[in-house]
Amino acid sequence: MFLLLPFDSLIVNLLGISLTVLFTLLLVFIIVPAIFGVSFGIRKLYMKTLLKIFAWATLRMERGAKEKNHQLYKPYTNGIIAKDPTSLEEEIKEIRRSGSSKALDNTPEFELSDIFYFCRKGMETIMDDEVTKRFSAEELESWNLLSRTNYNFQYISLRLTVLWGLGVLIRYCFLLPLRFKEFMSKHVHLMCYRICVRALTAIITYHDRENRPRNGGICVANHTSPIDVIILASDGYYAMVGQVHGGLMGVIQRAMVKACPHVWFERSEVKDRHLVAKRLTEHVQDKSKLPILIFPEGTCINNTSVMMFKKGSFEIGATVYPVAIKYDPQFGDAFWNSSKYGMVTYLLRMMTSWAIVCSVWYLPPMTREADEDAVQFANRVKSAIARQGGLVDLLWDGGLKREKVKDTFKEEQQKLYSKMIVGNHEDRSRS
Amino acid sequence: MSTMGNEASYPAEMCSHFDNDEIKRLGRSFKKLDLDKSGSLSVEEFMSLPELRHNPLVQRVIDVFDTDGNGEVDFKEFIRGASQFSVKSDEEQKLRFAFSIYDMDKDGYISNGELFQVLKMMVGNNLKDWQLQQLVDKTIIILDKDGDGKISFEEFSAVVRDLEIHKKLVLLM
Repeated sequence: MFLLLPFDSLIVNLLGISLTVLFTLLLVFIIVPAIFGVSFGIRKLYMKTLLKIFAWATLRMERGAKEKNHQLYKPYTNGIIAKDPTSLEEEIKEIRRSGSSKALDNTPEFELSDIFYFCRKGMETIMDDEVTKRFSAEELESWNLLSRTNYNFQYISLRLTVLWGLGVLIRYCFLLPLRFKEFMSKHVHLMCYRICVRALTAIITYHDRENRPRNGGICVANHTSPIDVIILASDGYYAMVGQVHGGLMGVIQRAMVKACPHVWFERSEVKDRHLVAKRLTEHVQDKSKLPILIFPEGTCINNTSVMMFKKGSFEIGATVYPVAIKYDPQFGDAFWNSSKYGMVTYLLRMMTSWAIVCSVWYLPPMTREADEDAVQFANRVKSAIARQGGLVDLLWDGGLKREKVKDTFKEEQQKLYSKMIVGNHEDRSRS
Repeated sequence: MSTMGNEASYPAEMCSHFDNDEIKRLGRSFKKLDLDKSGSLSVEEFMSLPELRHNPLVQRVIDVFDTDGNGEVDFKEFIRGASQFSVKSDEEQKLRFAFSIYDMDKDGYISNGELFQVLKMMVGNNLKDWQLQQLVDKTIIILDKDGDGKISFEEFSAVVRDLEIHKKLVLLM
């Protein structure tokens, strides 16, 4: 036992030294640049190396699978079936036309074959529908060594976990005590966000920075994860508007409110909505206040498309600065499926991804024109964001993730079909 | 899913036109729809797809799939049903499928009442009942060759067969 003691102390010493070295390195490479906003370009190199590793790994896996004669699980990004995008009218007319030529007087207004269209459309949806696809994580074609995007292999990086721990530590150490210093808060916030960004090994490319939002405006962006907030906030000062969350998110939200004038609300509260609109209007009219950051989709979408924007933020009448955020899914899926897992699990996943690579485009400011209403304005902004980010522009409501579709859609189809039948009837009675 | 077991081998009575790969893909769709993981799809689970809410004939399609009549569609019924939309299924099968959409009580005939009900699903409240009844009566008069007041499968196919149904009721996988 006595022999072990000097050995022990040697190990302890070694550990101590290596830890100190590690921390110093981290300090130098992360915190100092974060304070000064300087990058070392190490991350770009890291990204390139990762790409090479992925390509090699995918090849190896395929070769291995072939040897063992296994069926590799290959996700299909384009959906299972080839869909035929025809409308109700076109299709029914075509079906009727291709029928044998009967005497025109005898053609009934309604054909037995009219059901074909509905049956086929129904089946297409059952096999593969457009909407719920958006709410589950995008499936990748090539494997990126993360088990979540390809159900084959599990790997967790230890180094990143350490980084995360450090990031959390610093965040809380800085955030809490400096709550009371108004003046410092702006700069501290920025610094914190930058640290978070480094901790996540996020590689962000900002485009068109001259269009960055100014005071008295509203910044509008598409929403994939809470990390969007970190990404945007590390490049500018914003006041936030958002849904009140429970758990870890809630704690962070409350802490932030103490330092900065943010607006949190409960989505389902009708009274709250009016109150929020009023507060937003006041905030915007005060030109010295920070620009407001809003995600009008209302929920996290999986970054392949942009869903319907809620019109509330567009009614206020301020200048809107649209921002498009697009994540590169190869390095880690940033999408937060809030109905599937909570905040802490999500953070853990983020921290243990390889990296978060994304591009941010600042689009030129837009204002509501005289002849368009809030909804049209919202749609215009949405199209601009979708086009810039290369995302699909969808009319569907993001709220569909949680609620069901209203029956009005079915009634519209019924109305359309009825018009077709009755329309023919009117033609006949005229002749 | 309890009924799926080993994915590589499926019982021969699946009798579908799909190869293993396609069955696996359909299996994934099935699992996505089966929200409570019960192994069969209820009407509510189908209706959780927003685009299906558009479709006025969903209930009929589900009823046609549900061959054992227990109100839910299990995986076998799902595959068999979907198989009728495959490129490889023949014209006769597709005609049978279309016929069963109308034939609600599965007695082999489309009666006046059944045709009325299906049409009512398609038009909703946009046509008055008497207008609808007129359409139905007219259709049956024209199509009913043997004068029994109902449309049999032969009378149905005589009319619909020309319409190249094998192209219309097809999903390319």
